[in-house]
Amino acid sequence: MAIQTAEIKPAVPASPLPGIWKTFSRNRIAVFGVAMLIVVVFVAVFAPFIAPFDPKSSQGVGTSDIYNPPSAVHWFGTDDAGKDIFSLFLYGARVSLMVGFFASFISVGIGGTIGLVAGYYGGRVENILMRFTDTMLVIPDLPLIVVIVALTKPSLLNIIFVIGIFGWTTTARIVRSQTLAVKSRKFVLRARGIGASNPHIIRHHILPLVMPILVVNAILVISTAILNESTLSFIGLGDPSAISWGQMLNFAFSRGAMSAGAWWALVVPGCGIVWVVLSLTLLGHGLEQVLNPRLESHHLMPGKPTVQSEAVEVSDETSDAPVLLDVRNLSVHYISDGQAARAVHNVSFQLHEGELLGLVGESGCGKTTLMMALIRLLPAAGQIVSGQVLFDGKDLATLSEEELMDVRWKGISIIFQGAMNALNPVRTVGDQIAEAIIKHTPAMPRGVVDARVVELLELVGIATEHKDHYPHQYSGGMRQRAMIAMALSCNPQVVIADEPTTALDVMIQAQILELLDSLRKRLGLAIIFVTHDLGVVAEMCDSVLVMYGGVTAEYANVDTIYNMPQHPYTQELLKAFPDLTKPEKKLASIPGYPPKLDALPSGCRFAPRCPVAFEKCTIETPKLINVNGGHIVSCHLVENK
Amino acid sequence: MPDEFILEVKNLKKYFRAGKQGLFSRREQFVHAVDGVDLQLRRGEVIALVGESGCGKSTLSLTLMGLEDATEGSIFFEGKDVTHLSDKERKSIRQRIQMVFQDPYESLNPTQTIETIVAEPLIVHNIAPTHDERRDRVVRALEDAGLKPAEDYLHRFPHQLSGGQRQRVVIASALVLEPHLLLADEPVSMLDVSIRAEIINLLAELRETRGISVIFITHDLGTVGYFADRVAVMYLGRIVEIGTMREVLTSPKHPYTQALLSVIPVPNPRLRKQRVILQGETPNPIEVPSGCRFHPRCPVAIDVCKQSDPRLFSISETHQAACLLLV
Repeated sequence: MAIQTAEIKPAVPASPLPGIWKTFSRNRIAVFGVAMLIVVVFVAVFAPFIAPFDPKSSQGVGTSDIYNPPSAVHWFGTDDAGKDIFSLFLYGARVSLMVGFFASFISVGIGGTIGLVAGYYGGRVENILMRFTDTMLVIPDLPLIVVIVALTKPSLLNIIFVIGIFGWTTTARIVRSQTLAVKSRKFVLRARGIGASNPHIIRHHILPLVMPILVVNAILVISTAILNESTLSFIGLGDPSAISWGQMLNFAFSRGAMSAGAWWALVVPGCGIVWVVLSLTLLGHGLEQVLNPRLESHHLMPGKPTVQSEAVEVSDETSDAPVLLDVRNLSVHYISDGQAARAVHNVSFQLHEGELLGLVGESGCGKTTLMMALIRLLPAAGQIVSGQVLFDGKDLATLSEEELMDVRWKGISIIFQGAMNALNPVRTVGDQIAEAIIKHTPAMPRGVVDARVVELLELVGIATEHKDHYPHQYSGGMRQRAMIAMALSCNPQVVIADEPTTALDVMIQAQILELLDSLRKRLGLAIIFVTHDLGVVAEMCDSVLVMYGGVTAEYANVDTIYNMPQHPYTQELLKAFPDLTKPEKKLASIPGYPPKLDALPSGCRFAPRCPVAFEKCTIETPKLINVNGGHIVSCHLVENK
Repeated sequence: MPDEFILEVKNLKKYFRAGKQGLFSRREQFVHAVDGVDLQLRRGEVIALVGESGCGKSTLSLTLMGLEDATEGSIFFEGKDVTHLSDKERKSIRQRIQMVFQDPYESLNPTQTIETIVAEPLIVHNIAPTHDERRDRVVRALEDAGLKPAEDYLHRFPHQLSGGQRQRVVIASALVLEPHLLLADEPVSMLDVSIRAEIINLLAELRETRGISVIFITHDLGTVGYFADRVAVMYLGRIVEIGTMREVLTSPKHPYTQALLSVIPVPNPRLRKQRVILQGETPNPIEVPSGCRFHPRCPVAIDVCKQSDPRLFSISETHQAACLLLV
C-alpha cells in the first residue's frame, strides 16, 4: 500500500515569534511597562541633548540659586550647590540604568551557568553547586555588599561587580528547576540517542527552552540591582564622580534639604527609582504571562440558551427502558475574535436507564465538547447555541448555575481523561473522595462520609488500607479506579467516562472496562463512554454514536454499527482497526485528518476524506436520516437509496 | 555466519539501585528492570516486544541504545561487542541504531523547525557538511517518511503538525542517518486508531524498501500482528514467550500471553468472548516473586511454580515459552 500523503496543509508556515509578539502586544501590563522603560532609556541616552544645564560645571551658579523651588528655568528646582535638579536627574538615569544592566548581566551570567550546569549534569555537581547557592542565599547580601564596597574603592566598576556577584542566587535556582524540567523531556533523550554531545544538547535543546524564564528573571534582577545601587549611594558608598539617583538622595539628605524644606531634591530622584523599578516589574510580570500561557486564566462560563433549530426526531424504538437523558439538536459554538467555530452541530441522542452508549470519533471531532456541554462545563469561549438537554424533567441547557449544581455529580458525573492530572498530589485519595461527597451533600455527618468513602473504594476494587495513601503511591490503574469512585460518590444516574482507559495498558484497560460494566449492572448506571477505540466499544456498548467534525455521522445499536454500517466514515474506521481474528487483513488508514473547526468544508464534513464522495457531497450538507428503528445516518448515499 | 544476526543479546541484565537507603542500614535493594534477556535479531527482521508497563521493555531498549549501561551480559551489534563503549566509540554505532519514541508531542523540540530537527543528526555526526547536501538528505528522509512534498514541511514548527505528522517527523529524523536498526518504543500508542495504521504501514514499508531491522515495543498485541515476523512477550524483566507472529498469536503457550491475547478487544459485538482478566498489576520489580515470576497472577499456577523458576522451553524450532506446565 502506498503511504498516505493526502494531508491538509496549514495556510502559512509561521514561526512562533509573531504569535508571541501578538500576545505580548495584547498584554496591557507588559506594553505599559515597556513604554515606561523606553521613556527612561530615551532620557538616559539623550541626556546631554535634553538637559538644559551641565551638571558638572558650576558656572553661573550663585548663592541665590541654592534650593530654589521648581520654576520655569529649573523645572525641578535646584539642589544645595545651586545645580539644576532636572539635569542631574537626567544624568542620574544613565548611572542607575548602567549599574542595573551591567550588574544583572553578571548575575544572570553566573546564575544561569550554575543553574544550567547543576540542572543538566545532576549528581554530585548539582549537589555541590546547589549547596553553594543555598549558602549564598541565606547570607544577607545587602549588608555584605555594603561592607565590601566600603572596604574597596567606591568606583562605579566595583559597585557593578559587587552587586552582580551577589545577585545571582534566585536566577540559579529558577534556571536549575527549568533545566530539570526540560531535561526530562523526550526530545533531549532523542538527541542523546542521536549521539549529540552535552554542549550541543545544552545549546540547542535546553537553552532555547530555558531562555524565556531567564529573560523574565533578568528583568527582575535589573530592578533589584538598581535598588541595591540606590541603597549603596544613599548611604554614601557611591562613586562620587558618577551621580546616580541614589546619590542625589544622599546629597539632599545629608546637606539639609529636609530642613530647608526642599522636598523636590528628594522627591525627584525617588520618583525616578520608583518609575524604573515599576516599569521593570510590570514588564517582567507581563512577559511571564506571555511566555507562560498557562498563567492566562481560563474560567468556566455558563452557556446561554437560545433558539431552537431544525428538529429531527430521534427515538430508539428498540429499548423499552425509561429514557434518562434526552439530547435534542444540540449545537455548541466556540466564539473567539468574533468568529464562531461550530464545534458541535445538531446532535441528538437518547440514553436509557442502564444503557452503555459509546461515543466514537477521532481526536478533534467534538466528543469532549459535546460531553462538557451536557453539564455546561464548557470553556469560556464555548456556548450552547441551540438545542435541549432533557434530564429528570429539566432542560439543562436553560438551567441557572445554582440549579445545575444539583444536577452535576448528583445526577450526571464525569470520569475525566488522564487520572494522573485530575487528582491532587498533596492530599490522600480518601480525603479527595470525601471532599467530593461533602461538597454536594454538606449536611452528611463526618462518620457517614467516612463509611461512604470505604464503601466506594470497595465498590471500585481498592483495598481499604489504600484510603490514606497519596495519588503517587497509586498505580495508573488504581488512580483510574479512584476517579471512578469519585464520580460515583453522589449516586449519579448517568456517568460520562471520557477516554478512561486511553493511557492504560491493555490488561489494566480490561480491568477498568470490566469494572465499569459490573458497576452498570449492579447500580443500574447509564454510561456514556467516550473513546476513539472501536474495539472497546464493540466489547461492551449497547449503542454507538459515531461523530465526525462535530456532527452525527451514524447512530445505532452496536450490532448494526459493526455489521451493517451505512456511513463511509464508520466503514473506514472499522477497516483501520486491527482485528486479531483476521490477522492477514492489511490495516487501512483514513487519508487526511479531521477538519479544523474554523475551516469546515462545505457540504458533508467528511467529503474531503470520503472514498465514495460524489459531487453533491461537496455542495449540500446531508440530513440526518432515520434508516429504520433508530438507525440514524447522515450521508447522501443513504438518502438516495 | 556471525553476520547473520544484526543484533545479539546475551543474558542482558540491567539493575537500578532502589531509591531509599537508610543512613545506617546497609541493605541495598535493586530494581530488576531487565533480568536476563536473550534475543537474536536477523537482518531485515521485525520483532515485536510486548509487555505491560513495568515489564522492562523500555529499559531494555534504552540499554540497547547505550543510553543505559548494562549491569551484566553482552550486546553484539553487527558482530561487534557494544555492551560497554566509550562515548567516542558509541557515536559511530549510534549512526546505525536509531530510536523512535512513544510521544510525538514530547519528542520534538517545540522551538525548532522541522528542517532543524531532521538535520540535527547530520550535524552531530558531521555528515553532509554543506547546507545543500544536508537539505537534500533531509528532504529525502521526510519524503521516505511520507511527508510529501517535503518542502512544505521544512519551515514549519511541530505545533503546526498533527500527531501523525509529528510521528512521521520523528521517524524521518531517525531515517536521515540511514540506520540499520530501528528501535520503536510504543510509536503508535498515543495516536488515534485511525492514524495508527498509517504509521505501522510506514514502518512495514521502510523495512521492505530499506531492509531496516525493527524492534517494535508495545503493550498491545493487537497492533503488532500485521507486520512483525516474531513476537517476544516480556514479563518482569524477562522474555516469557517468543515465537513467530503466527505461533504466538494463534497458539500462545504461556498463560500470560494467553491472557494478554484474550483482552484484546475484537471489533465485532457478536464475538464478545470470555476474557482472562489478570487481577492486580505487574509486581514491583524490586522484590521479584520466588519461583516463576508470574505465579502470583497466574490463573493456572500449581504448587511447583512457587519454587521453580522456569527457563525457556522449546515448543518448536522457533517457538519457546517459559512455563512449568509445558514440561
